[in-house]
Amino acid sequence: MSEKAFSDATKISDTTKEAIVTMDGVYKRFKDFEALKNINFKVGKQEVVVVIGPSGSGKSTLIRCINRLEQHDAGTIVVDGTVLSNDLRNIQEIRKETGMVFQSFNLFPHLTVLDNVAIGPRRVRNLAKSEAEEIALKLLERVKIPEQAGKFPAQLSGGQQQRVAIARALAMKPKVMLFDEPTSALDPEMINEVLDAIKELANEGMTMVVVTHEMGFAREVADRVVFMADGEIVEVGTPEELFDSPREERTKKFLSQIL
Amino acid sequence: MTKPLPSASYKIPIWRNIKFLRIVFQVSVIFVVFLILNWLWGNYQINVARSSIPTDLRFLDNPANFTIPGSDFDQSQPVRSAFVEGFFNTLRVAFIGILLATLLGTLVGIARLSKNYLLNKLAAAYVEVIRNLPLLLLLTFMNLAVVLQTFPRIEEAWKPLDVMVISNRGIAIPWFVGSGTNLAAVIFLAGVIAYLVKKLRQKHSDRTGKPARDILYSVVTFFTLIAVAWFLLGYGLEFPFVDDRATSGGLRLDPSFFALLVALVLYTSSQIAEIVRGSILAVHKGQGEAADALALSASQKMRIVILPQAFRIAMPALGNQYLNLIKNSSLGASISYFELTQVAQITVGNGSPAVPAFTLTLLVYLSISFFTSLVVNYFNRKLELVER
Amino acid sequence: MRPWLKQNLFRSYLDGVLTVVSAAIAIWIVVQIFTFVFITGRWEIVQVNIKLLLIGRFPEEHIGLLLASVMAIAFWIGVTGGAFVKPGAPKRSVLEIARELFQRFGLIALLGIAIVYLAGTGEALVAGLQIVVAIVAGRLLSALRTRVKLLSAIPSLLWIFVWGLAPTSLIWYTLSVSTLETWGGFLINFYIAVLSIVLCFPLGVLLALGRRSSLPVIRLLATTYIEIVRGAPLFVLLLLAGVALEFFIPPEITPDVIFRSVTVFTLFTAAYLAEIIRGGLQSIPKGQTEAGKAIGLSTVRIIGLITLPQALRNVIPAQIGQFISLFKDTTLAGAALSMFEILSIGKAITKQDDFLGQGLIYESLAFVGLMFWVGSFVMSRESQRLEKKLGVGIR
Repeated sequence: MSEKAFSDATKISDTTKEAIVTMDGVYKRFKDFEALKNINFKVGKQEVVVVIGPSGSGKSTLIRCINRLEQHDAGTIVVDGTVLSNDLRNIQEIRKETGMVFQSFNLFPHLTVLDNVAIGPRRVRNLAKSEAEEIALKLLERVKIPEQAGKFPAQLSGGQQQRVAIARALAMKPKVMLFDEPTSALDPEMINEVLDAIKELANEGMTMVVVTHEMGFAREVADRVVFMADGEIVEVGTPEELFDSPREERTKKFLSQIL
Repeated sequence: MTKPLPSASYKIPIWRNIKFLRIVFQVSVIFVVFLILNWLWGNYQINVARSSIPTDLRFLDNPANFTIPGSDFDQSQPVRSAFVEGFFNTLRVAFIGILLATLLGTLVGIARLSKNYLLNKLAAAYVEVIRNLPLLLLLTFMNLAVVLQTFPRIEEAWKPLDVMVISNRGIAIPWFVGSGTNLAAVIFLAGVIAYLVKKLRQKHSDRTGKPARDILYSVVTFFTLIAVAWFLLGYGLEFPFVDDRATSGGLRLDPSFFALLVALVLYTSSQIAEIVRGSILAVHKGQGEAADALALSASQKMRIVILPQAFRIAMPALGNQYLNLIKNSSLGASISYFELTQVAQITVGNGSPAVPAFTLTLLVYLSISFFTSLVVNYFNRKLELVER
Repeated sequence: MRPWLKQNLFRSYLDGVLTVVSAAIAIWIVVQIFTFVFITGRWEIVQVNIKLLLIGRFPEEHIGLLLASVMAIAFWIGVTGGAFVKPGAPKRSVLEIARELFQRFGLIALLGIAIVYLAGTGEALVAGLQIVVAIVAGRLLSALRTRVKLLSAIPSLLWIFVWGLAPTSLIWYTLSVSTLETWGGFLINFYIAVLSIVLCFPLGVLLALGRRSSLPVIRLLATTYIEIVRGAPLFVLLLLAGVALEFFIPPEITPDVIFRSVTVFTLFTAAYLAEIIRGGLQSIPKGQTEAGKAIGLSTVRIIGLITLPQALRNVIPAQIGQFISLFKDTTLAGAALSMFEILSIGKAITKQDDFLGQGLIYESLAFVGLMFWVGSFVMSRESQRLEKKLGVGIR
């Protein structure tokens, strides 16, 4: 990555805040395909970072490495002071402090909506059932679907399911939320309700890394936008800098294709 | 101000290190399995020492001391030859059984889909009745009730159309006279020529656009060639007849072979019928609709669109049924048909050591299963859809 | 009427011919069966030996205990039948309920009536009635549960489990009081099948998980076991167990026939069950496990709470199919191990002095066949019904 990109990527917008996620010289390869090359990246507390780029650029791999859904091959990843390694305890710690929302929701179909949200507090943080359910209900209110608590995921619309997924991730009270293309699998009319929920979270001060194609959303909410291509971070900047006056050729080409 | 990065090279305590834990777990499992096997083996050694039966494979060289009906196996021949004989008997019943079961099963399966109400229900009844009975019951029925009970004694044997002889000694059918291998060669050659004819007709059709009728031409060629060779080489057909309390001439199917074959065919065909029906139904409805929209005839629709896809869907399940049939042939031992398992049982009864004999038998079955799986997988892969 | 005939039976000339031929065959079969069952069949052989066929040489003095156990099981079946009815379900008329029950279990009821008739004793009738009463009582108890607020708070599975303790303890007691060697007939077929399916479950689950494990040693061990067991004929394994099992256990213990057969059936069925469960596990989308990991659930918890419950539920029809196969295969134990199960008895009674050489094998085998056929047919129909109700279906 270029020197400018390096400094932008590793400079948190608000330098008074500490870094929640730090990636230092991270590489990842799948068989003979290099998915991540020399990733240097920081996310500060309460910062919202949006990652964009063409498919195959490594954006999903990047955030999946953060909670060890993929294992990085070289470099260091630190989340909230804990180093991500083969240490079982560290991995569990990091997973408790990160919440992930998937493109295909991945709700548990055999549990009710309430149980889906409560399972984290109940089984991982070992809270009592009533306490866990109370937390779950409050979160369902926060994403504006408390009345669906007794239903099963299959009975809900896509937008509602994704909001349940957000509530489920929030139930663990994470330090950082990871969103892997949260609206890509939704019908157009439901995208907004999910984006609104994510915007609210941002406004309340949640640290977030969001991989998405929704440029309007990025403009509104992001503190920094990261453009990735071919496994590298190509360019980083504020939404105005990146969208209105991109520096790199690859960035310009990509933006011209989608905007 | 950002804190300095903690060093990643600190030592991970070994009880939390995933890599280490994985290895430890696997090693302990191996250890436990080893302990169990060791205990079993130890017991085996103790018991064998106490029983003074030899446990190596020398028993294979001992004379068998039993005869195998339906073959010229002499009782002085070694046990290993008996095993070979049994092996071939297993293959014989399995091979014919698979052919007949597939044929019958496919017919019943298609009947099951017929729009004719009666035919449909009759086929359904056939499948439901047989599927829910234990195979051993069917076999016992065929053996004790049909063959030994209902079939007449040789003096009063049935001779339907004067062509076969049916008695409780077995069934004799007309068979070819003349060297077996030559006949096989003739059939093989006829097959090859018929195949060439099929290809030529297809090429002709591609060029001129006229219907190929390749199957018709090749089948006619096949049988004509065989008939011609028949006359030229002077093959005859031998009809069986009763000759002083035995049948002469023709091919004699001995009673337990017949009973086993029929039971296996009936049982497996009912399973195959369901598979055939299921796989034809599983072909997407839209395929049939597309074929109709293209104005393909009903037979073209079946041949070109539905059946090839149905066959691909059915292949793994069919392969499974064939494996089951091969394994089920071991039940022949319960009616004294001298397939592999019966040979093993008799020789153990005669004093051969049980564990090596039966282990050998199991190994043979495993090899047959393995080989059949390979063949089925090969066909499976050839039929797989080419995907992105 | 006429258009239906034309559509379904006489579409074309060929179709008409097929109809006539099929009708002739069907009529001939029905007539043959009718005459055999009601006219020409000599059913004394079954009548005299009914007790032998059903329960072998079970000691007379303990039959009451056996009957009590059967009633307890019947009661428990009734309880289970009603346990999944939701409190708010629409009430149905007695006629509707009776019709549905007849459709589903009418065959079993008819078989029961036939057995009682063949047995010809008043005791048999009383026993039959007692069993029916037990089932109805169990069902009513479950119905009561939906009415009483306190009881309906108990989860269904717990309800079923608690009431299952009664028959289990009764059976345990019966076992300890009567010697297992005297058990025989259909009872032993049933007993071995149930025991084997219960025992093979944990092993099957472990093997399925092992086969999908990312640890190479575990995967290899599980796959080897499964492939070897599935490639071997059950009959040969039983024969092997009959002569060879004692070589592998300490000399002081002599295993009886039932121990041998249950061991083989358990180890055998576990391999097949493992493949079925593996199919179920494979059908769970990978994203579920990932979501579980992302929340921080441990691997054990993910398997236990997320993947396994769904997988097991998805393959219930295939599991039932395996149980039906096992049930029918118990007949092999009779041939391989000289166990006194119903088919062996069926063959043996034709050699009794009174019945020797009279060709009564047809009647005998017909009865044995009927016992298996009704059980198997009703079970597979129930499985299809369950499949539809659950809306799942992976075979």
